[in-house]
Amino acid sequence: MRFSQPYSRTHRPFSQARRTAGVLSGAAMIGLLAAAAPQGFAQAQQTPIPEEPSTQPQIEIAGTGVATLDLGRSPNALPGGGKASSSQINISDSALMFGAAQRLYKGAIGSFSLGGLTLDESNTGSGTQLFLHQAYVDYQSHSFETYLGRTDQPTAQIVQFPTLRGDDLISFTNILNPFSNGENVEEHRYSNVAAVTLNRGLSTFANFHVQHLINTAGQSGDTGLNSYGVSLQHLSPPTLAAIQKVVSYGAGYEYRSVGRSEGGSSQAVYAGGVINLKPSLNNLVDLRVLDNYTFGNNTSKFSNTSDTFRANSNAVAVAVRYLHSPFGMPSSQLSLTMGYKSYDKVSNANSYGAALTGVKRLGQGVDAVAQYVYQRRDGALANAYGGGREENSVQVGLIFNFDATFNRSIGPRRSLLNLNHQYIPD
Amino acid sequence: MSIFRRFAKKKNEAPSAPEATNSRRQFMTHLGAAAGASLLLGRSATAAFGDGSAPLDKPATAWPASFDALATRPQFAPRETPKEGEKIHKFRIEVTIGEHEIVPGVKAHMFLFNNMYPGPEIRVPENEWVQIDLVNSSPENHTIHWHGMILANEMDGVPMGTQWPVFKDQTFRYLFRAQPAGTHFYHCHVMTTLHQMAGLVGSLIVEAKDDIVKKTFPYEREYTMLLSEIDTAWAREQLNEMVGMGMTMDAMNKDPKLMKEMNGRMMGWFKDKKSLLDAIKGGYTPPYLSSMTGANRVITPNFFMINGKSYPMTDELFIKYGENIRVRLIGGGMMPHYIHLHGHDFWHVCQDGSPLAAPVRLNTIPIFPGATSDIIIQGTNPGNWHFHDHSDLSTTNNGIHPGGMMTMLMYEDAEKYGVTFKDTIMIDS
Repeated sequence: MRFSQPYSRTHRPFSQARRTAGVLSGAAMIGLLAAAAPQGFAQAQQTPIPEEPSTQPQIEIAGTGVATLDLGRSPNALPGGGKASSSQINISDSALMFGAAQRLYKGAIGSFSLGGLTLDESNTGSGTQLFLHQAYVDYQSHSFETYLGRTDQPTAQIVQFPTLRGDDLISFTNILNPFSNGENVEEHRYSNVAAVTLNRGLSTFANFHVQHLINTAGQSGDTGLNSYGVSLQHLSPPTLAAIQKVVSYGAGYEYRSVGRSEGGSSQAVYAGGVINLKPSLNNLVDLRVLDNYTFGNNTSKFSNTSDTFRANSNAVAVAVRYLHSPFGMPSSQLSLTMGYKSYDKVSNANSYGAALTGVKRLGQGVDAVAQYVYQRRDGALANAYGGGREENSVQVGLIFNFDATFNRSIGPRRSLLNLNHQYIPD
Repeated sequence: MSIFRRFAKKKNEAPSAPEATNSRRQFMTHLGAAAGASLLLGRSATAAFGDGSAPLDKPATAWPASFDALATRPQFAPRETPKEGEKIHKFRIEVTIGEHEIVPGVKAHMFLFNNMYPGPEIRVPENEWVQIDLVNSSPENHTIHWHGMILANEMDGVPMGTQWPVFKDQTFRYLFRAQPAGTHFYHCHVMTTLHQMAGLVGSLIVEAKDDIVKKTFPYEREYTMLLSEIDTAWAREQLNEMVGMGMTMDAMNKDPKLMKEMNGRMMGWFKDKKSLLDAIKGGYTPPYLSSMTGANRVITPNFFMINGKSYPMTDELFIKYGENIRVRLIGGGMMPHYIHLHGHDFWHVCQDGSPLAAPVRLNTIPIFPGATSDIIIQGTNPGNWHFHDHSDLSTTNNGIHPGGMMTMLMYEDAEKYGVTFKDTIMIDS
C-alpha cells in the first residue's frame, strides 16, 4: 500500500515497487550482498569481460512488510487461495528487493534486480514460503529499454489499484494467466519476460514483449514462450501527478497460445487509465479504470479453476481514491475498488466484488491499514473455485515500506529536468 | 589578439560603461521591470548613516592603534536614491534552467544567470548606481544577494527577510550604489545550498577610483577565479524536487481551485516563531525531524570548479616576465580552498574587497566560502607553473586525480628565457 502514484517500470533505473518486492531471509540477504561484491562474482561465476574493480554500482534495497489480521476470510475465496481458517494472521505479499545499477557508456543504464515475496502459503509455516517474483537484467537508454527475466507481467503495468495487497480482487484488476492451475495467485502477476520498450519523449511508451506465463495447469517443465503482446502507455510528468487531470492511460493486446485441447488460444485486449477527478495537493480524488476482454477460447463450461482464467470474459475494475495530504504531506487515504466480470460462453458465472480500504500514515513509510472485501460469484464460478458464493472479510494491520539507495550515481530517466530540458543521463 | 581569458580585463579598457559591459556580457538594458526599486525611489533619504545625524563619527574611547575605526562606515547613505543626472548602470539578469558542461562528458542541469555559469561578471565604477532587473524564467523562486555591498535593506536579496522571493515570470528591480570598491560577488539566496551550488553565482567587481593596488603594483591584466563545487547527484535530486514543487506552485497560481489550497505551511513559511509553534501544536511536522528525514545524506561534492570548469577545462592565466597580474579569488561555494602557486610567492593585497593594511607575502592563500582575496603575481620566474587548490580532494574529478581546481600560470615568453617544455593535458595519473 503506497500513497504515491502507482508504480511504473519507466519510473526507475531498475523498476520495482515496494509492494511488489519480495522477502528474503536475513541469511539469504547477506549471501546476496556478498555475491554482489566484485570478488564474489569472480569466485562464483566467470564474467565474459573482467570487471573494472573501481566502478561501484548504485545499490538499492527496497522492501515492504505487510501483516494483517484477517477476519472472516474464506479459505477458498481467491483463486487458489490456501487452506487457512476463516481468521488468520496474514503475512503474504511482504517483499524484499535488491537491485544494482550501473551507468554505462553513452549514457545508458544497466541494472539487475532480484527479489522475492511471501505467498499465502507462508501464513501456514509450511510449504512454499517465497516466490521469486523479480530476477531480471535491464538495459535502458534515452529512447530504448530492454529487459529480460522474471518480473511483472507487462499486462499488469497499465493500471494499479489501491487495494491492501496486490492480489486483492485480482480477478478484476489483472489479466489472468490461462496457464495457471490457480494454486498460486502470483502466477497472474509475474512471468518470465523478454521485452523491448520504445518511447517518445519519455512520456509515451510502446512495449513489445514475449513471455513465458508460468504453466502450472499443464505442469510444463520448460519455460517455452507461450504469450506475445504489445502495450502502449502514456504517463504524465512525475511529481505533477497530483495536479494534472490525466495521470496515465494505456492499452494492450496479448496472445496466449493455449492448446486446442483447452479451447485454443486465449487472447486479451485491455485498456485503462488514471485521471484526477479532483486535482489537489491536499485533497486528491482520482479514478482508476481498467477493462480487459478475453476472447478466442472455446471453453464453455468450467471443469477446473484454470478454465476460468482462459474462458472468454470481460472484466472491468474501477477504483476511486481519496488522498488527504494536509499541507502537501500524505496523511490518510480511503479508496473503494470495485470489479465486475462476466463470461461469454459460460452461464451463471458472473461475479463482482468490492474492497473498501483505509490507510493512516503513522510516520514515514509506516501505515496502519484496514480493509473490507466483499465478493460474490454465481454458481458455476463458485463451484469452479470450490468455495462459497459470497465472501466477506475484514483485514486490519500494519505496513512498513522502505527504500534505501546507496552510492547514488544514477538519476531517473523520467525526471522533470530530463523531460522539460535537454536529456542528461547522469 | 586578446590573450585574456573569460574574465580578464585590460588596462585602459572602457571603464565599465554600462553599454560596453552590456555588450561584452550579453546584458540587455531593461526598462520595464517591476517594483523593487520603487520602494527606494518613493522614500526620502532619512538614513541612519551619511546624513550627518548618526552619532558614530567617533569611537567612545581612544583606540590604541592608528587606524580609522569607522572605515567600515559606508561612504554614501545606503538608503539614498539616485539624484537627477546621476548615472545608473543598468543590467538585466534572467534565470533559466539549462545544461552546463563541467568537463567533456559531464553535464548537469543547472540554474543559469543569463545562460551562463558562473553568471556574467558585473563591473561597475565605485560609488555609481547599479540597477539590475532580475527576471525569473525558471519554475523555482529566486532572489539575488549582493555579497559585500553596503546597500539598502530591501535590496539585500534575502527571501522572507528583506523581500518576497521572485516567482516564475516575475521581475524584481535591484538598485544600489556600488560601494565599497573591490572584489565581491552575487548569488541567489533562495535555498542557498542548492541554488548557489546549482549555478546561481557570479562575480561583482566594483572598480576603485583611486586604486592603491594598481598604484603599488602596476598591472595591465587581471583575472577573476570564482571557486565552487558541486555534488552532481545531490544537486540533481534536489533540483528535480524543487522544480517539481515550483511547477506545482505555478500551476496552483493559475488555477483558482488549486489556489485556495495554497498555504504558507506547504512552503514552510511562517510569519514568526509563535506561528511556527502554533502550527506544530496543530499537527504541522517540520521536515527536519528524524521522523521525516531519517539520516540525511551528506553532501559530498564530486566536481570542483574554477569559473564553472574543472581541470583540464579550466582557463590558464597568462603573464610575461616582468609583468604584474592581479587575480581576484572568490569563495563562491561551500568549501574552503587553499590556492597554491608553484615557483612564486605572491602578494595578498585585498580581503573581501578592501586593501589590507600592508601586502602580505604568501605562496598559498586560503579562500573561505563567502570570502574574496585579491593577489598580485609578479612575473619573476619564466615557465609554466601549477596553480591549484592544495586541498587535494579538490583536485579530482569524480574522485579521479588530476582534475578539479587546477590551472596553470603560463609565461607567454617562457621560451625566450630557455623554457621549452610544453604543458600537456593529463587525464589520469
